[in-house]
Amino acid sequence: MNISRRKFNKNLLSFLPAINMISGSGSGLMKRKRQSIVIQAEPGSFIRINNDVNMEKVKKFLDKGIKKLTEYSSPDEGWRSMFSPGDKVGIKLSCLPGKPLSSSRGIVKAVIEGLASAGIKENNILVWERSNRELQNAGFPLSFKGVRVYGTDQYAGGGYSSEIEFSGSVGTCFSKIMYEVDALINIPVLKDHDLSGISCSMKNFYGAIYNPNKFHSNNCDPYIAELNAHSIIKKKLKLVICDASRIQINNGPAYYPKYSKNYGSVLMGTDQVALDHTGWQIIEKERKRAGLISLKDAGREPEYIESAVKLGLGENRDSKIDLIRI
Amino acid sequence: MKRDRRNFIKLLMQAGVASPSFMLMSPSLSGNVQSVPVEAKYYEKLGEKKIKCNLCPHECRVADLERGTCGVRENRGGKYFTLVHSNPCAVNVDPIEKKPVFHYLPGTKSFSIATAGCNFVCKFCQNWEISQKRPEQVKSFTLSPAGVNMLAKKRGCRTVAHTYSEPVIFFEYMLDCAIEGKRRGIPNVMISNGFIQEKPMRELCKYLGAVKIDLKAFTEKFYKEFCSGSLRPVLDTLLVLKDEGIWFEIVDLIIPTLNDSDTEIKKMSKWIVKELGSDVPLHFSRYYPTFMLKNIPPTPPETVLKARKIALDSGVRFAYVGNMISDAENTYCPSCNKLLIERVGFHSSIKGMKKNKCKYCGEKIPGRFN
Repeated sequence: MNISRRKFNKNLLSFLPAINMISGSGSGLMKRKRQSIVIQAEPGSFIRINNDVNMEKVKKFLDKGIKKLTEYSSPDEGWRSMFSPGDKVGIKLSCLPGKPLSSSRGIVKAVIEGLASAGIKENNILVWERSNRELQNAGFPLSFKGVRVYGTDQYAGGGYSSEIEFSGSVGTCFSKIMYEVDALINIPVLKDHDLSGISCSMKNFYGAIYNPNKFHSNNCDPYIAELNAHSIIKKKLKLVICDASRIQINNGPAYYPKYSKNYGSVLMGTDQVALDHTGWQIIEKERKRAGLISLKDAGREPEYIESAVKLGLGENRDSKIDLIRI
Repeated sequence: MKRDRRNFIKLLMQAGVASPSFMLMSPSLSGNVQSVPVEAKYYEKLGEKKIKCNLCPHECRVADLERGTCGVRENRGGKYFTLVHSNPCAVNVDPIEKKPVFHYLPGTKSFSIATAGCNFVCKFCQNWEISQKRPEQVKSFTLSPAGVNMLAKKRGCRTVAHTYSEPVIFFEYMLDCAIEGKRRGIPNVMISNGFIQEKPMRELCKYLGAVKIDLKAFTEKFYKEFCSGSLRPVLDTLLVLKDEGIWFEIVDLIIPTLNDSDTEIKKMSKWIVKELGSDVPLHFSRYYPTFMLKNIPPTPPETVLKARKIALDSGVRFAYVGNMISDAENTYCPSCNKLLIERVGFHSSIKGMKKNKCKYCGEKIPGRFN
């Protein structure tokens, strides 16, 4: 698709107000900027078998979602608007609880195909987590669909930068992978969290720092928000695809069969706050359905989401979130 | 006392100050080894695989697969484990003066160990590269409690020091080392922030030889803003140490504008004298910019000396300065003011003592000097 200079500038100007949210870095620009968009697959769309979902089905959902997110008529154009062929892309997974509640391989494969359609070579894609052990426990071998798969811990010396980075009150060191890649795709799993209330997109970046244990005070608030306000995340994160094929509605973040539910959905968006807010509503609804008390009554309402709004990271008002169901 | 340049450098070299402490690389130590997790001693099960840690005042509630704020204790299926037992990442031979401990076997070497992790986040931590990391992020070794004490003896160390990071978080390892040390006649020394609950501290006191506590300031505000901790539990620990009758010393790192006011130092000194007694040595150390606190210049030596004077005027009988060269590192008899122990850097030599008394006036000097 050709974009004229005038149209390009117009798009650029319309894009600026959304600059605090995730920005596109591809050859084109994402068109749709009117408000925060969350794309949600209808619950029950993805049946989880053998701890995995069907890659073809996910790919179809992602293609539709990318078109909605970017307003391009073809998914390839949509992917290209977000990623440039020369980009080194890191796909951050969520693998702590092992296979039953980790990022599904089917979703990761579908994302890799999407990136391929943007012209990104396999050797420029890195699927990563905190450790090799976590990846392997979640069913990701060290070579997966031709792309590199490894944990931060595979680097000598622990895998974290020696530079202290600040965003808010607690200092940290980021995984070297965060510096190595040009763009990030976050594939978290939607689940209850014993401290923060829920774990969705923003919480997953605790797996990118060397001292997550120092970010857990006060129900992780404002620490989750402050971490995600760091420029390295804000600049590099391009897309979030949240695995809600199986969610955990209580007693997270570890897998607890009693409180897990085959929800069969996937969420997609570029505004982490809107995604976390949407994920929270899902968890609350399913908790109510299961006869569990609300997260507020449980003393762990995810207040970090409001803190993230205050830091300008995104939108949590239902009236301002365009929730599109596919 | 005057020192010429040659004599000063000679003393420094004797003390090992001119070069960093060496890391022991004995064949009996193997690098990059993660030890087998050992069940933690102080925690309670809360049901549904959750636990509450009762080791330090943070009292972390930890869900399955998560870790406490220390980063070295993990909930695995409802059981809480320490990941650092027998897994030190730092193993050195230091003069005991480096801790600093001045009244406990001065002039001797201390076999010094640490694991990764800490229950504080002191923005001025000198050892943040191990204290703020998780065990899997540092190079570590397998070294059993028996091995620690055996190596200490082999290296001519009179004591084992649990130091550098925060020994509270490797409690079970320290305890086992101390039990083993007591059996072998090698007292173990705890160099700590004192942020520990009463029960584990009292258990440790049965086996430790001495304790040094960092009293980082005398305000809750400082502890909250610069350490992610709180003051009251540290004071409570000091009271427990007094009650247990174990030898202990206190260190206060003086940081310009943050904890260096005359009022605060006076208040701290008065509290120490009233609650702990005038015989507890109080060290004032000079701060240097590091870690997350780099925008404040090093403490002027005169500020540290002034703090010492305030302490002495408040009734503390043994007040010292540290991280700087000064005669105020020496021990003087509180009765006749004669020089008893001379110190330069980490080197000390006993000048005026006979057993544990001043050889000039017979004043008893508290501590263990034989």
